[in-house]
Amino acid sequence: MGRMRLRSWQLGMAGLLIGLLATTAVGGPSRGLVRLTFYYPVGVAGPLARVIDEMVSDFNRQTPDVEVVAVYSGDYDPTMQKVQTAVMAGNPPDIAIVEISEMPTLLAMNAIIPLDSYARAEGREWLRDFFPAFLQNSYSDGRFYAVPFQRSTPVLYWNKDAFREAGLDPETPPATWEELEEYAKRLVKRDAAGSIQRWGVTISGGWNDWLFEAFVRQNGGVLLDYGRRQLRLDSPEAVEALRFWVRLTTELKVAPPHSTWASTPPDFVAGRTAMLYHSTGILTFLKNSARFPFGVAFLPRKKQYAVEVGGGNFYVFKNIPKAHQDAAWRFIRWMVTPERAARWSMASGYIAVRQSAYEVPTMKDFVAKNPEYLVAREQLRYAYGKIMAPNFQRLREILKRALDDATGGRLAPEAALRRAQQEAEQALSAWLRR
Amino acid sequence: MPPEASCYSRARGTEVLLYLLPSLVFLAVFTYWPIVRAVATSLLEWNISHPQPRFAGLRNYIVLAADPVFHLVMRNTLLLALVAIPLSIALALLFAVLLHEPLGSLRPVYRAAVFYPTMVPMAAAAMLWVWLFNPSIGLVNYYLGRLGIPRVEWLYDMTWALPAVMISWIWKNVGYLAILYLAGLQAIPRDLLEAASVEGAGFWQRLRHVTLPLLGPTTVFVVAVSVINSFQIFDAVHIMTQGGPADRTNVVIYYLYQQAFRFWDIGVASALTVLFVVGLLSVIAAVVRQMERRVFYEV
Repeated sequence: MGRMRLRSWQLGMAGLLIGLLATTAVGGPSRGLVRLTFYYPVGVAGPLARVIDEMVSDFNRQTPDVEVVAVYSGDYDPTMQKVQTAVMAGNPPDIAIVEISEMPTLLAMNAIIPLDSYARAEGREWLRDFFPAFLQNSYSDGRFYAVPFQRSTPVLYWNKDAFREAGLDPETPPATWEELEEYAKRLVKRDAAGSIQRWGVTISGGWNDWLFEAFVRQNGGVLLDYGRRQLRLDSPEAVEALRFWVRLTTELKVAPPHSTWASTPPDFVAGRTAMLYHSTGILTFLKNSARFPFGVAFLPRKKQYAVEVGGGNFYVFKNIPKAHQDAAWRFIRWMVTPERAARWSMASGYIAVRQSAYEVPTMKDFVAKNPEYLVAREQLRYAYGKIMAPNFQRLREILKRALDDATGGRLAPEAALRRAQQEAEQALSAWLRR
Repeated sequence: MPPEASCYSRARGTEVLLYLLPSLVFLAVFTYWPIVRAVATSLLEWNISHPQPRFAGLRNYIVLAADPVFHLVMRNTLLLALVAIPLSIALALLFAVLLHEPLGSLRPVYRAAVFYPTMVPMAAAAMLWVWLFNPSIGLVNYYLGRLGIPRVEWLYDMTWALPAVMISWIWKNVGYLAILYLAGLQAIPRDLLEAASVEGAGFWQRLRHVTLPLLGPTTVFVVAVSVINSFQIFDAVHIMTQGGPADRTNVVIYYLYQQAFRFWDIGVASALTVLFVVGLLSVIAAVVRQMERRVFYEV
């Protein structure tokens, strides 16, 4: 009796859920219409969700047999959570944009399909048109899984008024670590009580693991080699890079020891920091908000110029009908045509993922008027793939904690990174090769 | 007589069961069954490296015991409870006593002002506090500067981030506790206080010897609610600090969320859930038992 009751109740609930899903996502494929669910994040604040919505509407208008339902899923982390939950529940989205380092985790979950055959069908030139650095996070064991879309690199922003005030040439950003330190010392401003009024430089927190990776590369080191499955968080190059951070933050006190990813762009706009390490993705926000002239530069070098690519890629999911996967590819291909890549870049500040996008007339006019949008593209010559591994989120938390502990003066750089290495080895033990 | 009575009570019993059934079904589906599942899952190794769950005994509990972040998380959670709960109870009592005084026509205004933070969703309030604690343009530092106190980096500082979260939590909770205390105060018979006055007791003596003892039952409830609330803090941390810097504001529920939805370690997350439920229940049981010994329920 009780069981019966429970079952009919469950049935009712299930019916309700199916009804809800039917109205939102699944839909009736009665007229041969393929309806695709597409999760997308917007990694950097702003009205960018609207731009995606417009592009999706354009696609739906031009493609009568496919309807893409775009689901805004918050920041990168919530998007990954949404995707993982959906995959675990056996109801994956058809398409999602997920942060590029998550690919190995998606593979470990057996969630995504390789796209080699689709890419091959487009012809060899199609893939070659993407900036090579952006494709480095697309391959695993020689197979192609991810199409670049909203892609960035870190850059250095500098406040020209602050430079002038400190007696520095407002048109010349620091090119080396030594210059960065020197400039930061001159740019920092304290009041009579010794409180900071303006930091010399801010290396943004929150994704400081990403920025740190660039510093290690600049110093000639590598944190993680995905192909060889090797991890080296405590190499001498990494320790020296972290020592440099600690010098800026706790020794010289010209940089804040901690911050958050969302708070530092407003800090720069408010004049609270004279230089800022952040993503190219905030360029349009800064242009619209800053009431002083500012510049965009390569990250200063140590042994070499170097940055990591960042951002989000398109993935197509397993356990959906073949017709959906085919339609998903059509949508992705449409989204990364040179015209659309150019449009997305102009709206956001992200780098257009394809080289031919910079030949599109509107884009040509735009970058002629706004040359700072080209800096990140030029910097791609020195760009590497981003750190990635199954369970990337844990690796990232381990590294962030080490960085925060060191800049907070709680642990020496060597000790912090050695601890991180040990913790990460344990967390990735099933994947690492010794 | 007896058979009749038992027959009657059996019929009553069925009736009672019938009335309770809806909530029983919901509790069973959404509370009891998940608890059983959590205990079972906590014995599985089930994570990114092992997407197929397999039995692993107490492995997840051992992992947690050896996890330095877990120790930090426990420290933060307990610190928050031990500092923020007494402070918020003291403030709530103060507000309640003040609100209980004749304040004339402004009383509803004051009462609304004290209760208001309770009605703001914590997520929205946390956004507000992010701005208040902003080191350069935040009001908190502005007033500290006015008072000549050195400015603090608040949410960016390893030492001050947790106190900042505590402050926002106290702000959010005091109003609710104050209303509970106000109800308790209003239930105290006037004649007791008047009798004390006649005997020559001053304000403090009346508070100490009449009001506070009679607020005992309220205090038990207030403490229990505060313990639950403080252990469950999540949204404030998620929005204000994401547990940082270096996990100095990471608390149990936030760590649970990280384990489950960011690291995707379902086994460890379940073990954490079990520890959390057992820990919370035993803390509350201990607190309530301790306090009830010293409480009069009858006036």
